[in-house]
Amino acid sequence: MLRIPIAERAGWQQKAEEFGFKFHTMHGERYWDESAYYQFTLEQIEKGIEEPTEEIHQMCLEVVEKVIADDELMRRFCIPEKHWDLVRRSWKNGDPSLYSRLDFAYSGKGHAKLYENNADTPTSVFETGFWQWLWLQDNVDSGALPRHADQFNSLQEKLVNQFKDLKFLTPDRTLHFACCKETDEDRGTVQYLEDCAKAADIDTRFAFIEDIGRDPEGNFSDLDDNMITWMFKLYPWEFMFREEFGDYLGGNNIRWLEPPWKSILSNKALLPLLWKMFPDHPNLLPSFFEDELSLASDYDSLVKKPIFSREGANISIINQQSDIVKAKGSHESSGPYGEEGFIYQATHMLPKFGEHYTLIGSWLVDGEAAGISIREDSGPITQDMSRYLPHIIL
Amino acid sequence: MKKSKTINIDMMRKTPRKVPRLGPLAAAVAAITLTACSSKEEAIVVETVDDCVSKTTMTREQCDAAYKSALVEAERTAPKYRSRSQCEAEFGYSQCQSTRSGGMFMPFMAGYLVSQVMSNRGGYYGGTYNPVFHYQRPYSSHNNRIMTADGTVIGRAGQSSYRVGKSSFKPKPKVTRTVSRGGFGSVASAKSSWGGGKRSGGWGG
Repeated sequence: MLRIPIAERAGWQQKAEEFGFKFHTMHGERYWDESAYYQFTLEQIEKGIEEPTEEIHQMCLEVVEKVIADDELMRRFCIPEKHWDLVRRSWKNGDPSLYSRLDFAYSGKGHAKLYENNADTPTSVFETGFWQWLWLQDNVDSGALPRHADQFNSLQEKLVNQFKDLKFLTPDRTLHFACCKETDEDRGTVQYLEDCAKAADIDTRFAFIEDIGRDPEGNFSDLDDNMITWMFKLYPWEFMFREEFGDYLGGNNIRWLEPPWKSILSNKALLPLLWKMFPDHPNLLPSFFEDELSLASDYDSLVKKPIFSREGANISIINQQSDIVKAKGSHESSGPYGEEGFIYQATHMLPKFGEHYTLIGSWLVDGEAAGISIREDSGPITQDMSRYLPHIIL
Repeated sequence: MKKSKTINIDMMRKTPRKVPRLGPLAAAVAAITLTACSSKEEAIVVETVDDCVSKTTMTREQCDAAYKSALVEAERTAPKYRSRSQCEAEFGYSQCQSTRSGGMFMPFMAGYLVSQVMSNRGGYYGGTYNPVFHYQRPYSSHNNRIMTADGTVIGRAGQSSYRVGKSSFKPKPKVTRTVSRGGFGSVASAKSSWGGGKRSGGWGG
């Protein structure tokens, strides 16, 4: 696994605009960064990432099975009791999912280590499935990269195929896509998935989360008063559970993407439970619930993560000897999460390539590994502004 | 190969938002009728809820719902014009209204399509009721024709039935009565005010 500088494609910014990629630069800082790429061997991809990705996904499904059947665990996962039925039913009915992303620390050697599972609202799907694919195509066409250069990225193909299966399972329904207002990144992500659904011949519509309405029977509606019967929401279940319209969930006949049972996987409580069920698994990091920290005495340093947290917010690296000493500056990220409690994960730093800390996101569509995305940051905690770099297999 | 074999790049291109049709519709109409779909079926044009009740097997409630859904579809898909006079030049005097969202003009819906096969099979099919419009531009070869929102001419005004493409009945969402909005989004809103609301990203991760 190498980090190799490369010339940027002339005029790529304009091309980005043509394809609706508006958030390649945010707040004057580059997010999409094609001044370099990562190069993997096929073995690193297949043995190092692809196999563990599919295996961990299966392990995660076992965790869901266990949590669903156990009230105590449902509480530990902070699923509000009034929504237990919804979550349990969606699992027992076998509600299909679309996608998820596992985040790994992997340097090309040894075992990839699971940081977390973005099972409910993963983003950077456009950059991965389409934009880095196009980057490779362009660089092969221009001769900057060899013709046999490949990429671990069948994401778009698999998404379209999964949408075809979902259409078969959900005939005659329009699929509404939703995200919050005032975020180009989320809007772009949802537009991309809507494009994939259209390619699978699904009827689609869009609604902002804030614009969703309800009728007297508790059905949800869009701004044109169309009843919503099937919805992809780029909005966390743990938020929806706690909001006013959350009371109507389960009372209406809506198929959800991601399905409610994903709320168990997008939850950091997953990590200590995985460690309990599959102790010493080579791709897992030792992880502990807050009230079981005595079990963690062997580890000098732990990463403290909120049960619910997104994009690296509110994560701190703490030192066992000095109680909870918040490390300085870049080792502690701030943010609005943490009220539901924390979990602790043995510290395993991201590999460094030059000055850059590198995180690998490994995508799953249904249960199949579908490609990777790479994020870089100058600090050890990857956040929403961390840069996205393309990769190749050679 | 570990990457997607092919991606239809043109499909991914976000061309500029379609500008509403401003010129005469007739030129566009000719091209569309030539490429019309081969798999067709019989449909009737229903003008009002009463008309629907008498001509189809649907109940009054179903006809009412169908009418409302066609109106919404009309607002969404009807040809739009910058001025009332441009619209009236093609659809006739007093035959145009301003759009609900304002700023543009569109013809009144002349009625909506109901599939004869589906109607005979027991009526209401919860699908789409596509609006039709009555084109009235004297001396145009399309004068007095009925057309769908995309400009496809389906026949003369007043025919007892029309042959239309099957896609005219593609299911679209059911229309309901919204009594409140804004019940989702409060947690995101509270969290994004954190840090002075300068948060860049969305709610994905």
